[in-house]
Amino acid sequence: MAEFSPGLEGVVAAETAVSEVDGANGRLIYRGGYLIEDLVPVVSFEEAAYLLWHGELPNESQLDALREQMATARTLNKSARGTLMAMDAATEPMDVLRTVVSAQGASKSLTKPSLDEAIALTAVFPTIVGAARRRGQGKAIVEPRADLGHAANLLWMMHGEEPAPEKVHLVDTYLVLLADHGLNASTFAARVVASTGSDLTSCVVGAIAALKGPAHGGATLAARNMLDKIGSAEDAEKWLREAHARHERFSGFGHRVYRTYDPRAKILREMAKTAAPDLHRTAARTEEVALAILHEAHPERPNATNVDFWASVVLTGAGIPKELFTTVFATSRVSGWTAHVLESLADLRIIRPASRWVGPEPGKKPLQLTKR
Amino acid sequence: MSSGYVPGLEGIVASQTAISMVDGENGRLVYQGYVIADLAEQMSFEEVAFLLWEGRLPNRSELDALSLELANHRTLTQAANITLDALPTDTDPMDVLRSVVSVQGVEHRLGKPSVPLAIHATASFPTILARFHRRQSGLDPIQPRADLGHAANYLYMMNGKESSPEVVRALNTYLVLLADHGMNASTFTARVIASTESDLISSLVGAIGALKGPAHGGAPAAVIEQLELIGTADNAERWMRDARKRKVKFMGFGHRVYRVYDPRAKILKEMCRRMNPKFYELATKVEEVALQILHEEHPERPQSTNVEFYSAGVLQAIGLPKGYFTPTFASARVAGWSAHVLEQAAHNRIIRPQSEYIGPEPRKPIPLAERV
Repeated sequence: MAEFSPGLEGVVAAETAVSEVDGANGRLIYRGGYLIEDLVPVVSFEEAAYLLWHGELPNESQLDALREQMATARTLNKSARGTLMAMDAATEPMDVLRTVVSAQGASKSLTKPSLDEAIALTAVFPTIVGAARRRGQGKAIVEPRADLGHAANLLWMMHGEEPAPEKVHLVDTYLVLLADHGLNASTFAARVVASTGSDLTSCVVGAIAALKGPAHGGATLAARNMLDKIGSAEDAEKWLREAHARHERFSGFGHRVYRTYDPRAKILREMAKTAAPDLHRTAARTEEVALAILHEAHPERPNATNVDFWASVVLTGAGIPKELFTTVFATSRVSGWTAHVLESLADLRIIRPASRWVGPEPGKKPLQLTKR
Repeated sequence: MSSGYVPGLEGIVASQTAISMVDGENGRLVYQGYVIADLAEQMSFEEVAFLLWEGRLPNRSELDALSLELANHRTLTQAANITLDALPTDTDPMDVLRSVVSVQGVEHRLGKPSVPLAIHATASFPTILARFHRRQSGLDPIQPRADLGHAANYLYMMNGKESSPEVVRALNTYLVLLADHGMNASTFTARVIASTESDLISSLVGAIGALKGPAHGGAPAAVIEQLELIGTADNAERWMRDARKRKVKFMGFGHRVYRVYDPRAKILKEMCRRMNPKFYELATKVEEVALQILHEEHPERPQSTNVEFYSAGVLQAIGLPKGYFTPTFASARVAGWSAHVLEQAAHNRIIRPQSEYIGPEPRKPIPLAERV
């Protein structure tokens, strides 16, 4: 039998045209062949989602049609709303998202994943995230606004006030940057679920479940928590040296695929300067010291800053409360998850790997209960 | 660094496990060293769940403690009840299960997977299904009974009366047989989710989504539907040869791993003979013809009857409605899913495979106004 590579590291599990992480050269390519740094100045989240779904950037009328379709799909259905309101207001927001998406997509009979469904699911995430925030604050839920774009509507539903254009821009850019990233764990989970012929909601719910983990989407919050503990640029060196001595892992550093600086982190680092100047100062010093310590400890390892580190600073600058970071990540990545599921339909084959037996020799006879 | 792409990860070792082994060559299914035939009709589902979670069979006091813990966690939270009642009565019970398990397991802060959490989740599945079934039938929910075992209580909550010992035994055997099965797609989904350090409920919700697919757990109802179309044993050959010309797939045949008769199918077939003679008469004829036709088409392939085929007859004899076949499968497999999550968490490495990019070479995006 084949060799065992823990975590399937280096094992090719899918062919895809949705995105490519070129770790050796520090490039992220979105469908159609666009480098992430070329897209960011040119496209909105809706355009990026269109690109991931269709393989081409939309023209003006195609973009208008997509925006309109998304704006009309922002409302929760009756079961989803009932489910949302039944949950304790202090529920972890990712659990709210997982549950309400499941209820919103509950259906009478199995349907094949479709683009319309992908659009509808993507459109409804800000509604759920906004509602989770409002309820968590003990405030009334804000209804979606059809005249706002995706990023602006997300901020509107969280805060209940007209968002400032520069905050909208920060969120929109973040959403474009995080929309897809090769075969990461949540996308892979979505593709495994899809491979059984299941429905799109099941795929997306499974992906939300995977993104929740601190080793995946939860890492942005962990990075921000670390920066909060460090407190200031002046305290960074002392805190990091002590943490390192306690064998604590630095949040926001290291990635399985990139061998150079993550191109998304580079863009976010630049944005962070103006988005959150104070936190940026702490973060910049933290990065400098952390990379130095990691290099001293493992000179052979390419220990680079990952996207979560600088995303945590930019999202803070955009006015997103840290408890909501992972849900905002999901709000972006759902476009990629659904693009991957739709792509996988063209050649659906159940993903059923093998396992290696490390248990007792088969054939042991069970003892009767009274003799155990 | 990356190896060649193997569709569906066939033959690729994705995990090491001591929970179960599918020995496809010899037609053996092994749980923690015990061959399934030695467990199936002698052990309760509770004993087998303990075996999967703890790696050994329980003694009397351990079994009593587990039974009590299960009985104490058969009630749903208020939020779960409200969610369940908010879903339309014609919702697919798998979507109900996915949504209500999600809400039943919500947390305020991220918890680590544990045996108690596995017990609580396993205990809740029958309650969710029975409550929804009663609602669909316009009947009041039945409160669980602590004095009944897992299988007996499930049937009691579904039907509002106790089932005969023979029927309870049959359901128990079914649950034991289906409790685990190596690295199948839903179990693998659960492990991918667990590998991000997400919580147990997230893994289970993802696994339910995968089991729903017709290429995985969604098939037993389709077996019954196909047998209904065939109608009688005399009609089998004519109907099936004709169906084949129309490229109709025979439901309940073929499996990626077994090269000989599935040991579970063998046991279920014998149960069908005793409990469901009408089904047995038709099904054995259909099986004979299906295997003959499949052999004619692909003499090189080891086409054999899979577990779904005779599962359908057993579940029908037990009196479960067709729509509850796959959710009952989930009620068995939740034991295995949670055992795999615990094992994954104990030896974790994030499951993040590679993908092969098949899209266009990098190029520059055109601004919106210039796109045609």
